Amino acid sequence: MSINQHPSSEWLSAYSAGSLSLSQSLCVAAHMESCSVCQQTFARLNQLGGELMTELSPAIGSTLNFEQLMDSINQQESMAVQTIDTDMPRAKPRGSIPLCLRKFIPVDYDHLQWSRISPSIQSTQLCQDHGGSKVELLRIKPGGSAPTHTHLGDELTVILEGSFSDETGIYRAGDFLACDGNNTHTPVASKDRDCICLVVSEAPLQFTGWFTRLFNPLLRRGYA
Amino acid sequence: MVQLAQTKTPQETLQQWLRAVAIERDQNAFKKLFEHYVPLLRSYSLAREPGSSLLADELAQEVMIKVWNKAASYNAEKANTNTWIFTLARNSRIDHLRRNGRFATNIDSSDLFDNIVDTSPSPFQAAQTHTVQKNIREGLDQLPREQAEVLSKVYLQGRSHQQASDELSLPLGTVKSRVRLALKKMQLLMGDL
Repeated sequence: MSINQHPSSEWLSAYSAGSLSLSQSLCVAAHMESCSVCQQTFARLNQLGGELMTELSPAIGSTLNFEQLMDSINQQESMAVQTIDTDMPRAKPRGSIPLCLRKFIPVDYDHLQWSRISPSIQSTQLCQDHGGSKVELLRIKPGGSAPTHTHLGDELTVILEGSFSDETGIYRAGDFLACDGNNTHTPVASKDRDCICLVVSEAPLQFTGWFTRLFNPLLRRGYA
Repeated sequence: MVQLAQTKTPQETLQQWLRAVAIERDQNAFKKLFEHYVPLLRSYSLAREPGSSLLADELAQEVMIKVWNKAASYNAEKANTNTWIFTLARNSRIDHLRRNGRFATNIDSSDLFDNIVDTSPSPFQAAQTHTVQKNIREGLDQLPREQAEVLSKVYLQGRSHQQASDELSLPLGTVKSRVRLALKKMQLLMGDL
């Protein structure tokens, strides 16, 4: 078992604090929806947040007034009578799509606009975050491999379907991997099915093979 | 001195007030929660945006409206009131930054946090919450200054590890290891994370 399969405590605490970028948070959430161990750690880290907040010396001098607050609540309530409660449990989408990605994957993986980036890999961009980090899905054909690469910034991967292996081990649906410039790896999808991953990269991948290095400028497309 | 008395309100009392809001829609209890939490919520906002008193009021107001609207969903077995209010404040802060274009993205806090449920069996949760509470309190009291400083950057000032590293003139690895050491000291980590 590799510790890479869960987000480390630094990732979890930054997520709980709300200080992680939203695209990276999306990866932590996609993992955590199906990981009860991380859910429990998350609950504790939130508790830490609550304690730290109460340690602050209260900032008095608010211009807020309780009666005005009640007025605006009452106003909202009278307007909201006929509207549908948006906090209703959401319908769970088909298969393995994490709920946190539901907005970006409205139907299923097949209905997304995939583009081919190599004979065995397709990609589709889900959204972009400030600072140019990129949120995309990669779909690797059975047995297909990605070129050996390293990273200029952090790259987070959550496996949504299928599995892949690299130099460090085998990764399956739900697993979370964090790579940075110190990791060079060659992921290969398992032979039985497509492997679909959520990948958030802060900066373009760096290919390290002598031939694929030529493609690097091409990969920078799409980064702010 | 009034403020000091407010922060010493025991957890049981805060929970009673919140329950009264949830069940009886008790405005007096809500007013007490308002008086207790608004100054803390303002401090939380000011920690990130010092000097921005208006923003602090805005965040406090938004969170208090959520407290009123969502009181019924509060579960005392899963979290104490401070934890619950902190998560509401964190989410409001994220959405505020997003609305103001600081995060150019269509990811919002409900995508990130609304689908995470703690699936551990509830009879253990209340007891566990107490143990965790004790560990956090004891840990915070003994925490070396440099670890407390990093935690405050991340949790209260909302800084990324990179920003904390820049502001404290520390290597990124040192920031991360201080976070880890602090969490270990408070026994907040499950397994070998």
